Amino acid sequence: MTTAAEFVGVTQRFGDFTAVDDIDLAIPSGQLTTLLGPSGCGKTTSLRMLAGYTQPTSGRILIAGADATRTPPERRGLGMVFQSYALFPHMTVAENVGYGLKLRKVAGAERRRRVEESLDLVGLGHLAASRPKKLSGGQQQRVALARAIAIRPTLLLLDEPLSNLDARLRVQMRAEIRRIQAETGLTVVLVTHDQDEALEMSDRMVLMRDGRVMQEGAPSEVFTAPANRFVAEFLGYENFIGAADGSVTTVRPEHLTIGRPAPETGLSLEGVVVDVAYRGVDRLVSLETADAAGETVRLVADVRDEAVPARPGDRVTVTAPASRLIRLAA
Amino acid sequence: MKTSRPVAASLAVAGYIVMIVPILFVVATAFTGGSTLRFPPEGFSLRWFEAALAYDPFIDALLSSLQLALLATVLALVIGVPVTLAIHRGRLPGKGLVEGLFLSPLIVPELVVGLALYQQLMIGLRLDNFPVLLIGHTVLMLPYAVRVTGASLALADPGLEEAARGLGASPVRAFFTVTLPLLRPGIFSAGLLSFVTSFNNVPLSLLLQSRDFRTLPVTMLDYVQQSYDPMVAATSTIILAGTVVIAVIAERTVGFARIFGGINR
Repeated sequence: MTTAAEFVGVTQRFGDFTAVDDIDLAIPSGQLTTLLGPSGCGKTTSLRMLAGYTQPTSGRILIAGADATRTPPERRGLGMVFQSYALFPHMTVAENVGYGLKLRKVAGAERRRRVEESLDLVGLGHLAASRPKKLSGGQQQRVALARAIAIRPTLLLLDEPLSNLDARLRVQMRAEIRRIQAETGLTVVLVTHDQDEALEMSDRMVLMRDGRVMQEGAPSEVFTAPANRFVAEFLGYENFIGAADGSVTTVRPEHLTIGRPAPETGLSLEGVVVDVAYRGVDRLVSLETADAAGETVRLVADVRDEAVPARPGDRVTVTAPASRLIRLAA
Repeated sequence: MKTSRPVAASLAVAGYIVMIVPILFVVATAFTGGSTLRFPPEGFSLRWFEAALAYDPFIDALLSSLQLALLATVLALVIGVPVTLAIHRGRLPGKGLVEGLFLSPLIVPELVVGLALYQQLMIGLRLDNFPVLLIGHTVLMLPYAVRVTGASLALADPGLEEAARGLGASPVRAFFTVTLPLLRPGIFSAGLLSFVTSFNNVPLSLLLQSRDFRTLPVTMLDYVQQSYDPMVAATSTIILAGTVVIAVIAERTVGFARIFGGINR
Protein backbone atom coordinates (compact mmCIF):
# COMPACT_ATOMS: atom_id res chain seq x y z
CA MET A 1 0.00 0.00 0.00
CA THR A 2 1.56 3.29 -1.07
CA THR A 3 1.17 6.53 0.79
CA ALA A 4 -0.37 9.52 -0.99
CA ALA A 5 0.38 12.06 1.72
CA GLU A 6 1.97 12.14 5.10
CA PHE A 7 2.04 14.35 8.19
CA VAL A 8 5.37 14.12 9.99
CA GLY A 9 5.41 15.62 13.49
CA VAL A 10 3.06 18.41 12.41
CA THR A 11 2.06 21.11 14.89
CA GLN A 12 -0.08 24.16 14.22
CA ARG A 13 -0.38 26.95 16.77
CA PHE A 14 -2.57 30.04 16.50
CA GLY A 15 -1.25 32.33 19.23
CA ASP A 16 -1.65 30.41 22.49
CA PHE A 17 -3.98 27.87 20.96
CA THR A 18 -2.52 24.63 19.70
CA ALA A 19 -4.88 23.45 16.98
CA VAL A 20 -2.81 20.46 15.91
CA ASP A 21 -0.34 18.93 18.32
CA ASP A 22 2.54 16.93 16.86
CA ILE A 23 0.61 14.49 14.68
CA ASP A 24 2.02 11.74 12.49
CA LEU A 25 -0.37 10.47 9.92
CA ALA A 26 -0.18 8.57 6.65
CA ILE A 27 -2.91 8.86 4.00
CA PRO A 28 -2.99 5.60 1.98
CA SER A 29 -3.33 5.89 -1.82
CA GLY A 30 -6.61 5.07 -3.49
CA GLN A 31 -8.54 4.96 -0.24
CA LEU A 32 -11.02 7.17 1.54
CA THR A 33 -9.65 8.40 4.83
CA THR A 34 -11.83 10.40 7.21
CA LEU A 35 -10.63 12.79 9.87
CA LEU A 36 -13.31 12.53 12.53
CA GLY A 37 -13.81 14.46 15.74
CA PRO A 38 -15.74 17.18 17.55
CA SER A 39 -15.30 20.84 16.57
CA GLY A 40 -11.94 22.20 17.63
CA CYS A 41 -10.22 18.82 17.41
CA GLY A 42 -7.89 19.98 14.64
CA LYS A 43 -9.39 18.01 11.76
CA THR A 44 -10.16 21.01 9.54
CA THR A 45 -6.82 22.65 10.36
CA SER A 46 -5.08 19.41 9.33
CA LEU A 47 -6.96 19.39 6.04
CA ARG A 48 -6.15 23.05 5.42
CA MET A 49 -2.47 22.35 6.06
CA LEU A 50 -2.61 19.48 3.62
CA ALA A 51 -4.22 21.78 1.04
CA GLY A 52 -1.64 24.50 1.71
CA TYR A 53 -3.99 27.20 3.04
CA THR A 54 -2.12 27.35 6.34
CA GLN A 55 1.42 26.34 7.07
CA PRO A 56 2.37 24.20 10.03
CA THR A 57 4.22 25.86 12.89
CA SER A 58 6.54 22.87 12.85
CA GLY A 59 6.77 19.50 11.16
CA ARG A 60 6.60 18.45 7.53
CA ILE A 61 3.88 17.57 5.06
CA LEU A 62 4.74 15.15 2.28
CA ILE A 63 2.64 14.76 -0.85
CA ALA A 64 3.49 11.78 -3.08
CA GLY A 65 6.71 11.38 -1.12
CA ALA A 66 7.99 14.93 -1.73
CA ASP A 67 8.19 17.65 0.90
CA ALA A 68 5.31 20.06 0.24
CA THR A 69 5.36 21.90 3.58
CA ARG A 70 6.03 25.30 2.01
CA THR A 71 4.41 24.69 -1.39
CA PRO A 72 1.57 27.18 -2.04
CA PRO A 73 -1.87 25.65 -2.71
CA GLU A 74 -1.81 26.46 -6.44
CA ARG A 75 1.21 24.21 -6.93
CA ARG A 76 0.00 21.21 -4.93
CA GLY A 77 -2.43 19.93 -7.56
CA LEU A 78 -5.07 18.90 -5.03
CA GLY A 79 -8.83 19.13 -5.44
CA MET A 80 -10.70 20.67 -2.54
CA VAL A 81 -14.42 20.80 -1.85
CA PHE A 82 -15.29 23.47 0.70
CA GLN A 83 -18.04 23.29 3.25
CA SER A 84 -19.59 26.40 1.65
CA TYR A 85 -18.86 24.88 -1.82
CA ALA A 86 -17.23 28.21 -2.80
CA LEU A 87 -18.59 28.14 -6.34
CA PHE A 88 -17.74 31.25 -8.36
CA PRO A 89 -21.08 33.07 -8.60
CA HIS A 90 -20.10 35.06 -11.70
CA MET A 91 -19.40 31.95 -13.76
CA THR A 92 -21.64 29.24 -15.17
CA VAL A 93 -21.42 25.68 -13.90
CA ALA A 94 -19.26 24.72 -16.89
CA GLU A 95 -16.97 27.72 -16.36
CA ASN A 96 -16.61 26.78 -12.71
CA VAL A 97 -15.64 23.23 -13.59
CA GLY A 98 -13.36 24.43 -16.38
CA TYR A 99 -11.59 27.07 -14.26
CA GLY A 100 -8.75 24.83 -13.12
CA LEU A 101 -8.34 23.40 -16.63
CA LYS A 102 -8.11 26.86 -18.16
CA LEU A 103 -5.33 27.71 -15.69
CA ARG A 104 -3.60 24.52 -16.79
CA LYS A 105 -3.88 25.74 -20.38
CA VAL A 106 -5.94 22.75 -21.46
CA ALA A 107 -7.10 23.67 -24.98
CA GLY A 108 -10.74 24.41 -25.84
CA ALA A 109 -12.03 21.12 -27.21
CA GLU A 110 -10.17 18.99 -24.70
CA ARG A 111 -11.33 21.29 -21.90
CA ARG A 112 -14.97 21.03 -22.97
CA ARG A 113 -14.65 17.26 -23.08
CA ARG A 114 -13.22 17.06 -19.57
CA VAL A 115 -15.77 19.50 -18.15
CA GLU A 116 -18.50 17.35 -19.67
CA GLU A 117 -16.91 14.18 -18.34
CA SER A 118 -16.67 15.59 -14.81
CA LEU A 119 -20.24 16.88 -14.86
CA ASP A 120 -21.49 13.54 -16.16
CA LEU A 121 -19.66 11.81 -13.33
CA VAL A 122 -21.74 13.76 -10.81
CA GLY A 123 -24.88 13.53 -12.96
CA LEU A 124 -25.20 17.24 -13.78
CA GLY A 125 -24.36 17.34 -17.49
CA HIS A 126 -27.68 19.04 -18.24
CA LEU A 127 -26.94 22.03 -15.97
CA ALA A 128 -23.64 23.10 -17.57
CA ALA A 129 -24.98 26.50 -18.65
CA SER A 130 -26.70 27.39 -15.34
CA ARG A 131 -25.45 29.81 -12.74
CA PRO A 132 -24.57 28.26 -9.37
CA LYS A 133 -27.17 30.44 -7.58
CA LYS A 134 -29.97 28.74 -9.50
CA LEU A 135 -29.00 25.30 -8.20
CA SER A 136 -30.12 23.47 -5.07
CA GLY A 137 -27.66 22.80 -2.27
CA GLY A 138 -27.17 19.21 -3.38
CA GLN A 139 -26.53 20.27 -6.96
CA GLN A 140 -24.05 22.95 -5.87
CA GLN A 141 -22.25 20.31 -3.89
CA ARG A 142 -21.96 18.11 -6.96
CA VAL A 143 -20.62 21.02 -9.02
CA ALA A 144 -17.99 21.64 -6.35
CA LEU A 145 -17.06 17.96 -6.57
CA ALA A 146 -16.91 18.04 -10.37
CA ARG A 147 -14.73 21.17 -10.27
CA ALA A 148 -12.29 19.49 -7.89
CA ILE A 149 -12.20 16.25 -9.90
CA ALA A 150 -11.80 17.94 -13.31
CA ILE A 151 -8.19 18.89 -12.60
CA ARG A 152 -7.38 15.20 -11.96
CA PRO A 153 -6.02 15.93 -8.50
CA THR A 154 -3.51 13.75 -6.70
CA LEU A 155 -5.77 13.98 -3.67
CA LEU A 156 -9.39 14.97 -3.27
CA LEU A 157 -10.03 16.87 -0.04
CA LEU A 158 -13.57 17.23 1.30
CA ASP A 159 -14.24 19.61 4.19
CA GLU A 160 -17.53 18.65 5.87
CA PRO A 161 -19.01 18.21 2.40
CA LEU A 162 -22.40 16.98 3.54
CA SER A 163 -23.11 19.15 6.57
CA ASN A 164 -25.14 21.75 4.64
CA LEU A 165 -27.48 19.18 3.09
CA ASP A 166 -30.75 17.91 4.50
CA ALA A 167 -30.78 14.52 6.19
CA ARG A 168 -32.04 12.43 3.29
CA LEU A 169 -29.74 14.01 0.72
CA ARG A 170 -26.83 13.56 3.08
CA VAL A 171 -27.32 9.82 3.21
CA GLN A 172 -27.67 9.72 -0.59
CA MET A 173 -24.48 11.71 -1.12
CA ARG A 174 -22.50 9.35 1.12
CA ALA A 175 -23.06 6.56 -1.37
CA GLU A 176 -22.52 8.98 -4.26
CA ILE A 177 -19.11 10.07 -3.00
CA ARG A 178 -18.14 6.42 -2.43
CA ARG A 179 -19.19 5.61 -5.99
CA ILE A 180 -17.17 8.51 -7.43
CA GLN A 181 -14.18 7.48 -5.36
CA ALA A 182 -14.44 3.92 -6.62
CA GLU A 183 -14.89 5.00 -10.25
CA THR A 184 -11.98 7.44 -10.26
CA GLY A 185 -9.70 5.54 -7.90
CA LEU A 186 -8.89 8.87 -6.23
CA THR A 187 -7.32 9.19 -2.83
CA VAL A 188 -9.88 11.02 -0.73
CA VAL A 189 -9.51 12.77 2.62
CA LEU A 190 -12.82 13.70 4.19
CA VAL A 191 -13.34 15.81 7.31
CA THR A 192 -16.49 15.22 9.34
CA HIS A 193 -17.90 15.41 12.85
CA ASP A 194 -20.54 12.78 12.06
CA GLN A 195 -19.53 9.31 13.25
CA ASP A 196 -22.17 7.56 11.12
CA GLU A 197 -20.81 9.28 8.04
CA ALA A 198 -17.26 8.25 8.94
CA LEU A 199 -18.21 4.65 9.72
CA GLU A 200 -20.18 4.25 6.52
CA MET A 201 -17.81 5.99 4.12
CA SER A 202 -14.27 5.36 5.28
CA ASP A 203 -11.71 2.80 4.35
CA ARG A 204 -9.75 4.24 7.20
CA MET A 205 -10.80 6.62 9.93
CA VAL A 206 -8.73 8.87 12.15
CA LEU A 207 -10.32 10.04 15.38
CA MET A 208 -8.97 13.33 16.68
CA ARG A 209 -9.33 15.31 19.87
CA ASP A 210 -7.56 18.48 21.06
CA GLY A 211 -5.18 18.39 18.10
CA ARG A 212 -4.07 14.80 18.65
CA VAL A 213 -4.87 11.50 17.00
CA MET A 214 -6.82 9.34 19.47
CA GLN A 215 -7.15 6.26 17.31
CA GLU A 216 -6.93 5.25 13.67
CA GLY A 217 -7.85 2.19 11.70
CA ALA A 218 -10.57 0.60 9.61
CA PRO A 219 -14.07 1.57 10.84
CA SER A 220 -14.83 -1.94 12.10
CA GLU A 221 -11.53 -2.10 14.01
CA VAL A 222 -12.09 1.24 15.69
CA PHE A 223 -15.74 0.60 16.38
CA THR A 224 -15.34 -2.84 17.94
CA ALA A 225 -12.24 -1.93 19.91
CA PRO A 226 -12.30 1.73 20.95
CA ALA A 227 -8.96 2.61 22.50
CA ASN A 228 -10.26 4.89 25.21
CA ARG A 229 -13.36 6.43 26.73
CA PHE A 230 -13.36 9.44 24.41
CA VAL A 231 -13.39 7.27 21.30
CA ALA A 232 -16.04 5.01 22.79
CA GLU A 233 -18.28 7.94 23.72
CA PHE A 234 -17.80 9.59 20.35
CA LEU A 235 -18.84 6.39 18.56
CA GLY A 236 -22.01 6.10 20.63
CA TYR A 237 -21.07 3.84 23.50
CA GLU A 238 -23.13 4.84 26.51
CA ASN A 239 -22.43 2.49 29.39
CA PHE A 240 -19.25 3.05 31.37
CA ILE A 241 -18.78 0.86 34.41
CA GLY A 242 -15.90 1.41 36.82
CA ALA A 243 -14.06 -1.55 38.36
CA ALA A 244 -12.42 -1.74 41.79
CA ASP A 245 -8.95 -1.33 40.20
CA GLY A 246 -9.96 1.99 38.59
CA SER A 247 -10.29 0.64 35.04
CA VAL A 248 -13.45 1.29 33.03
CA THR A 249 -15.43 -1.25 31.09
CA THR A 250 -17.95 -0.35 28.40
CA VAL A 251 -20.70 -2.27 26.68
CA ARG A 252 -23.08 -1.18 23.94
CA PRO A 253 -26.79 -0.77 24.83
CA GLU A 254 -27.82 -3.58 22.44
CA HIS A 255 -25.56 -6.04 24.24
CA LEU A 256 -27.12 -5.50 27.65
CA THR A 257 -29.83 -7.99 28.54
CA ILE A 258 -32.50 -7.56 31.19
CA GLY A 259 -33.81 -10.33 33.40
CA ARG A 260 -31.87 -13.29 32.08
CA PRO A 261 -29.77 -15.54 34.35
CA ALA A 262 -26.26 -14.20 34.82
CA PRO A 263 -23.64 -15.63 32.43
CA GLU A 264 -20.76 -17.52 33.99
CA THR A 265 -18.28 -14.87 33.06
CA GLY A 266 -19.18 -11.33 32.17
CA LEU A 267 -21.30 -8.65 33.68
CA SER A 268 -24.19 -8.95 36.12
CA LEU A 269 -25.62 -5.98 37.98
CA GLU A 270 -28.75 -5.23 40.00
CA GLY A 271 -30.47 -1.99 39.07
CA VAL A 272 -33.66 0.06 39.11
CA VAL A 273 -35.43 1.09 35.91
CA VAL A 274 -35.73 4.90 35.81
CA ASP A 275 -37.01 5.51 32.31
CA VAL A 276 -38.31 3.62 29.31
CA ALA A 277 -38.35 5.18 25.84
CA TYR A 278 -40.52 3.25 23.39
CA ARG A 279 -39.21 3.47 19.83
CA GLY A 280 -41.28 0.96 17.90
CA VAL A 281 -38.68 -1.62 16.99
CA ASP A 282 -37.13 -1.47 20.44
CA ARG A 283 -37.20 0.17 23.85
CA LEU A 284 -34.36 2.14 25.42
CA VAL A 285 -34.40 1.25 29.10
CA SER A 286 -32.43 3.52 31.44
CA LEU A 287 -31.34 2.00 34.73
CA GLU A 288 -29.52 3.15 37.79
CA THR A 289 -27.08 0.83 39.44
CA ALA A 290 -23.86 0.90 41.44
CA ASP A 291 -20.55 -0.31 40.02
CA ALA A 292 -17.78 -2.18 41.81
CA ALA A 293 -16.20 1.11 42.84
CA GLY A 294 -19.45 2.05 44.61
CA GLU A 295 -20.34 4.86 42.18
CA THR A 296 -23.88 5.31 40.91
CA VAL A 297 -23.92 4.44 37.21
CA ARG A 298 -26.62 5.07 34.68
CA LEU A 299 -26.92 2.34 32.09
CA VAL A 300 -28.93 2.20 28.88
CA ALA A 301 -30.14 -1.13 27.55
CA ASP A 302 -31.56 -1.48 24.07
CA VAL A 303 -34.32 -4.05 24.57
CA ARG A 304 -35.79 -5.67 21.45
CA ASP A 305 -37.69 -8.48 23.15
CA GLU A 306 -41.21 -7.22 23.81
CA ALA A 307 -41.77 -9.92 26.42
CA VAL A 308 -39.16 -8.53 28.78
CA PRO A 309 -40.93 -6.58 31.53
CA ALA A 310 -39.42 -3.16 32.24
CA ARG A 311 -41.37 -0.38 33.90
CA PRO A 312 -39.98 2.59 35.83
CA GLY A 313 -39.36 1.48 39.42
CA ASP A 314 -38.80 -2.21 38.55
CA ARG A 315 -35.81 -3.90 40.17
CA VAL A 316 -34.05 -5.90 37.49
CA THR A 317 -30.83 -7.74 36.75
CA VAL A 318 -28.78 -6.57 33.74
CA THR A 319 -26.25 -8.88 32.22
CA ALA A 320 -23.78 -8.98 29.35
CA PRO A 321 -21.50 -11.78 28.13
CA ALA A 322 -17.75 -11.37 28.60
CA SER A 323 -17.21 -11.26 24.83
CA ARG A 324 -19.15 -7.98 24.63
CA LEU A 325 -17.27 -6.17 27.37
CA ILE A 326 -14.54 -3.72 26.32
CA ARG A 327 -11.94 -2.60 28.80
CA LEU A 328 -10.83 0.95 28.15
CA ALA A 329 -7.57 2.68 28.87
CA ALA A 330 -8.09 5.67 31.15
CA MET B 1 -43.17 49.86 6.34
CA LYS B 2 -46.02 48.00 7.93
CA THR B 3 -49.23 49.52 9.17
CA SER B 4 -48.65 47.71 12.44
CA ARG B 5 -46.16 50.49 13.26
CA PRO B 6 -48.26 53.65 12.78
CA VAL B 7 -45.83 56.04 14.49
CA ALA B 8 -42.85 54.98 12.42
CA ALA B 9 -44.96 55.04 9.28
CA SER B 10 -46.28 58.58 9.88
CA LEU B 11 -42.81 59.84 10.75
CA ALA B 12 -41.47 58.36 7.54
CA VAL B 13 -44.21 59.97 5.48
CA ALA B 14 -43.60 63.31 7.23
CA GLY B 15 -39.91 62.93 6.48
CA TYR B 16 -40.54 62.35 2.81
CA ILE B 17 -42.84 65.38 2.68
CA VAL B 18 -40.29 67.65 4.36
CA MET B 19 -37.56 66.49 1.99
CA ILE B 20 -39.42 66.28 -1.28
CA VAL B 21 -41.95 69.12 -1.26
CA PRO B 22 -39.38 71.99 -1.32
CA ILE B 23 -37.69 70.25 -4.25
CA LEU B 24 -41.01 70.08 -6.08
CA PHE B 25 -41.42 73.85 -5.60
CA VAL B 26 -38.02 74.46 -7.19
CA VAL B 27 -38.82 72.17 -10.10
CA ALA B 28 -42.21 73.84 -10.61
CA THR B 29 -40.78 77.38 -10.61
CA ALA B 30 -38.14 76.34 -13.15
CA PHE B 31 -40.90 75.98 -15.75
CA THR B 32 -42.35 79.42 -15.12
CA GLY B 33 -43.03 81.87 -17.92
CA GLY B 34 -42.53 84.84 -15.58
CA SER B 35 -39.29 86.44 -14.53
CA THR B 36 -39.17 85.94 -10.77
CA LEU B 37 -38.71 82.92 -8.51
CA ARG B 38 -42.28 82.75 -7.33
CA PHE B 39 -44.82 80.05 -6.58
CA PRO B 40 -47.22 79.30 -8.17
CA PRO B 41 -45.35 79.77 -11.47
CA GLU B 42 -46.80 82.18 -13.99
CA GLY B 43 -47.57 80.11 -17.06
CA PHE B 44 -45.38 77.39 -18.57
CA SER B 45 -42.21 77.85 -20.59
CA LEU B 46 -38.76 76.40 -21.11
CA ARG B 47 -37.15 79.85 -21.44
CA TRP B 48 -35.18 79.58 -18.20
CA PHE B 49 -33.74 76.23 -19.27
CA GLU B 50 -32.64 77.85 -22.51
CA ALA B 51 -31.20 80.76 -20.56
CA ALA B 52 -29.32 78.44 -18.20
CA LEU B 53 -27.82 76.43 -21.04
CA ALA B 54 -26.74 79.66 -22.77
CA TYR B 55 -25.20 81.24 -19.66
CA ASP B 56 -21.44 80.73 -19.98
CA PRO B 57 -20.44 80.97 -16.30
CA PHE B 58 -22.82 78.05 -15.54
CA ILE B 59 -21.59 75.95 -18.45
CA ASP B 60 -17.94 76.59 -17.56
CA ALA B 61 -18.65 75.77 -13.92
CA LEU B 62 -20.54 72.62 -14.92
CA LEU B 63 -17.55 71.43 -16.94
CA SER B 64 -15.23 72.27 -14.03
CA SER B 65 -17.46 70.38 -11.61
CA LEU B 66 -17.66 67.33 -13.86
CA GLN B 67 -13.90 67.34 -14.38
CA LEU B 68 -13.22 67.66 -10.65
CA ALA B 69 -15.78 65.03 -9.65
CA LEU B 70 -14.52 62.55 -12.24
CA LEU B 71 -10.84 62.91 -11.33
CA ALA B 72 -11.52 62.86 -7.58
CA THR B 73 -13.68 59.74 -7.96
CA VAL B 74 -10.96 57.90 -9.84
CA LEU B 75 -8.36 58.95 -7.26
CA ALA B 76 -10.58 57.95 -4.34
CA LEU B 77 -11.15 54.50 -5.86
CA VAL B 78 -7.48 54.01 -6.71
CA ILE B 79 -6.58 54.74 -3.09
CA GLY B 80 -9.69 53.37 -1.39
CA VAL B 81 -10.06 49.95 -3.02
CA PRO B 82 -6.58 48.66 -2.09
CA VAL B 83 -7.09 50.05 1.43
CA THR B 84 -10.36 48.13 1.68
CA LEU B 85 -8.65 44.94 0.53
CA ALA B 86 -5.90 45.43 3.09
CA ILE B 87 -8.44 46.04 5.88
CA HIS B 88 -10.63 43.04 5.03
CA ARG B 89 -8.22 40.46 3.70
CA GLY B 90 -4.72 41.52 4.71
CA ARG B 91 -2.80 40.82 7.89
CA LEU B 92 -2.68 44.49 8.75
CA PRO B 93 -1.89 45.44 12.34
CA GLY B 94 -4.34 48.03 13.72
CA LYS B 95 -7.01 47.41 11.07
CA GLY B 96 -9.62 49.27 13.12
CA LEU B 97 -7.42 52.32 13.36
CA VAL B 98 -6.76 52.36 9.62
CA GLU B 99 -10.43 51.97 8.85
CA GLY B 100 -11.28 54.74 11.32
CA LEU B 101 -8.77 57.03 9.66
CA PHE B 102 -10.29 56.49 6.24
CA LEU B 103 -13.83 56.99 7.52
CA SER B 104 -12.99 60.11 9.55
CA PRO B 105 -13.71 62.59 6.73
CA LEU B 106 -17.39 61.75 7.32
CA ILE B 107 -17.14 63.22 10.83
CA VAL B 108 -14.57 66.03 10.63
CA PRO B 109 -16.40 69.25 9.62
CA GLU B 110 -15.71 70.05 6.00
CA LEU B 111 -15.03 73.68 6.82
CA VAL B 112 -12.18 72.59 9.05
CA VAL B 113 -10.75 70.36 6.32
CA GLY B 114 -11.20 73.16 3.82
CA LEU B 115 -9.57 75.77 6.02
CA ALA B 116 -6.64 73.47 6.76
CA LEU B 117 -6.10 72.80 3.06
CA TYR B 118 -6.44 76.50 2.29
CA GLN B 119 -3.88 77.50 4.92
CA GLN B 120 -1.34 74.76 4.36
CA LEU B 121 -1.52 74.11 0.63
CA MET B 122 -2.82 77.25 -1.04
CA ILE B 123 -1.21 79.85 1.25
CA GLY B 124 1.66 77.76 2.63
CA LEU B 125 2.76 75.90 -0.50
CA ARG B 126 1.21 78.37 -2.98
CA LEU B 127 -0.52 75.58 -4.91
CA ASP B 128 -3.19 76.36 -7.50
CA ASN B 129 -6.70 75.85 -6.29
CA PHE B 130 -7.46 72.97 -8.66
CA PRO B 131 -4.97 70.44 -7.18
CA VAL B 132 -6.02 71.51 -3.69
CA LEU B 133 -9.69 71.06 -4.54
CA LEU B 134 -8.84 67.68 -6.02
CA ILE B 135 -7.08 66.62 -2.82
CA GLY B 136 -9.96 67.91 -0.68
CA HIS B 137 -12.66 66.17 -2.69
CA THR B 138 -10.68 62.94 -2.85
CA VAL B 139 -10.31 62.91 0.93
CA LEU B 140 -14.02 63.57 1.27
CA MET B 141 -14.86 60.56 -0.90
CA LEU B 142 -12.52 58.05 0.66
CA PRO B 143 -15.11 56.94 3.25
CA TYR B 144 -17.48 55.98 0.43
CA ALA B 145 -14.80 54.16 -1.52
CA VAL B 146 -13.67 52.23 1.56
CA ARG B 147 -17.09 51.51 3.02
CA VAL B 148 -19.08 50.64 -0.07
CA THR B 149 -16.45 48.37 -1.61
CA GLY B 150 -15.87 46.99 1.88
CA ALA B 151 -19.54 46.09 2.13
CA SER B 152 -19.43 44.05 -1.06
CA LEU B 153 -16.13 42.48 -0.06
CA ALA B 154 -17.58 41.46 3.31
CA LEU B 155 -20.43 39.72 1.47
CA ALA B 156 -18.07 37.74 -0.75
CA ASP B 157 -17.02 34.34 0.59
CA PRO B 158 -13.26 34.37 1.35
CA GLY B 159 -13.38 30.68 0.43
CA LEU B 160 -13.77 31.72 -3.21
CA GLU B 161 -10.23 33.02 -3.41
CA GLU B 162 -8.97 29.90 -1.67
CA ALA B 163 -10.91 27.74 -4.09
CA ALA B 164 -9.28 29.59 -6.99
CA ARG B 165 -5.83 29.08 -5.43
CA GLY B 166 -6.52 25.39 -4.92
CA LEU B 167 -7.47 25.05 -8.58
CA GLY B 168 -4.12 26.45 -9.62
CA ALA B 169 -4.43 30.26 -9.62
CA SER B 170 -1.61 32.42 -8.26
CA PRO B 171 -2.76 35.05 -5.71
CA VAL B 172 -2.69 37.74 -8.42
CA ARG B 173 -4.61 35.54 -10.88
CA ALA B 174 -7.17 34.66 -8.20
CA PHE B 175 -7.67 38.36 -7.47
CA PHE B 176 -8.28 39.30 -11.10
CA THR B 177 -10.42 36.32 -12.08
CA VAL B 178 -12.50 35.95 -8.92
CA THR B 179 -12.28 38.77 -6.36
CA LEU B 180 -12.32 41.74 -8.71
CA PRO B 181 -15.31 40.58 -10.79
CA LEU B 182 -17.25 40.10 -7.55
CA LEU B 183 -16.28 43.57 -6.33
CA ARG B 184 -17.21 45.29 -9.59
CA PRO B 185 -20.76 46.29 -8.55
CA GLY B 186 -19.45 47.59 -5.22
CA ILE B 187 -16.71 49.63 -6.88
CA PHE B 188 -19.22 50.94 -9.41
CA SER B 189 -21.65 52.17 -6.76
CA ALA B 190 -18.81 53.59 -4.65
CA GLY B 191 -17.81 55.54 -7.72
CA LEU B 192 -21.34 56.83 -8.30
CA LEU B 193 -21.75 57.91 -4.69
CA SER B 194 -18.36 59.61 -4.69
CA PHE B 195 -19.14 61.38 -7.91
CA VAL B 196 -22.44 62.73 -6.60
CA THR B 197 -20.83 63.77 -3.31
CA SER B 198 -18.13 65.74 -5.08
CA PHE B 199 -20.48 67.23 -7.62
CA ASN B 200 -22.84 68.57 -4.94
CA ASN B 201 -20.19 69.72 -2.49
CA VAL B 202 -20.37 73.35 -1.36
CA PRO B 203 -18.27 73.99 1.79
CA LEU B 204 -14.92 72.78 0.43
CA SER B 205 -15.46 74.18 -3.03
CA LEU B 206 -16.52 77.53 -1.58
CA LEU B 207 -13.41 77.87 0.55
CA LEU B 208 -11.06 76.74 -2.17
CA GLN B 209 -12.54 78.62 -5.13
CA SER B 210 -10.62 80.92 -7.42
CA ARG B 211 -11.54 83.13 -10.35
CA ASP B 212 -10.28 80.51 -12.86
CA PHE B 213 -11.72 77.41 -11.31
CA ARG B 214 -15.09 77.42 -9.66
CA THR B 215 -17.58 74.58 -9.30
CA LEU B 216 -21.21 74.76 -10.33
CA PRO B 217 -22.82 74.86 -6.85
CA VAL B 218 -20.52 77.74 -5.84
CA THR B 219 -21.24 79.62 -9.06
CA MET B 220 -24.98 79.16 -8.52
CA LEU B 221 -24.68 80.40 -4.96
CA ASP B 222 -22.92 83.54 -6.22
CA TYR B 223 -25.59 84.03 -8.83
CA VAL B 224 -28.47 83.73 -6.36
CA GLN B 225 -26.87 86.36 -4.13
CA GLN B 226 -27.00 88.85 -6.99
CA SER B 227 -30.11 88.07 -8.98
CA TYR B 228 -33.26 86.28 -8.08
CA ASP B 229 -34.53 84.84 -11.34
CA PRO B 230 -35.73 81.30 -12.20
CA MET B 231 -32.56 80.40 -14.13
CA VAL B 232 -31.11 78.93 -10.94
CA ALA B 233 -34.21 76.81 -10.47
CA ALA B 234 -33.85 75.56 -14.03
CA THR B 235 -30.17 74.70 -13.47
CA SER B 236 -31.07 72.92 -10.21
CA THR B 237 -33.70 70.93 -12.04
CA ILE B 238 -31.21 69.82 -14.68
CA ILE B 239 -28.75 68.73 -11.98
CA LEU B 240 -31.53 67.01 -10.07
CA ALA B 241 -32.48 65.05 -13.18
CA GLY B 242 -28.87 63.97 -13.62
CA THR B 243 -28.60 62.90 -9.99
CA VAL B 244 -31.81 60.90 -10.20
CA VAL B 245 -30.51 59.07 -13.26
CA ILE B 246 -27.31 58.18 -11.35
CA ALA B 247 -29.32 57.05 -8.32
CA VAL B 248 -31.50 54.82 -10.46
CA ILE B 249 -28.42 53.25 -12.05
CA ALA B 250 -26.93 52.64 -8.59
CA GLU B 251 -30.17 51.09 -7.37
CA ARG B 252 -30.41 48.83 -10.43
CA THR B 253 -26.83 47.63 -10.28
CA VAL B 254 -26.28 47.07 -6.57
CA GLY B 255 -29.27 48.36 -4.65
CA PHE B 256 -29.30 50.96 -1.92
CA ALA B 257 -30.17 48.43 0.74
CA ARG B 258 -26.84 46.74 0.10
CA ILE B 259 -24.88 49.97 -0.17
CA PHE B 260 -26.22 51.46 3.02
CA GLY B 261 -26.64 48.13 4.76
CA GLY B 262 -22.86 47.94 4.49
CA ILE B 263 -22.40 51.39 5.95
CA ASN B 264 -24.59 50.67 8.95
CA ARG B 265 -23.00 47.32 9.65
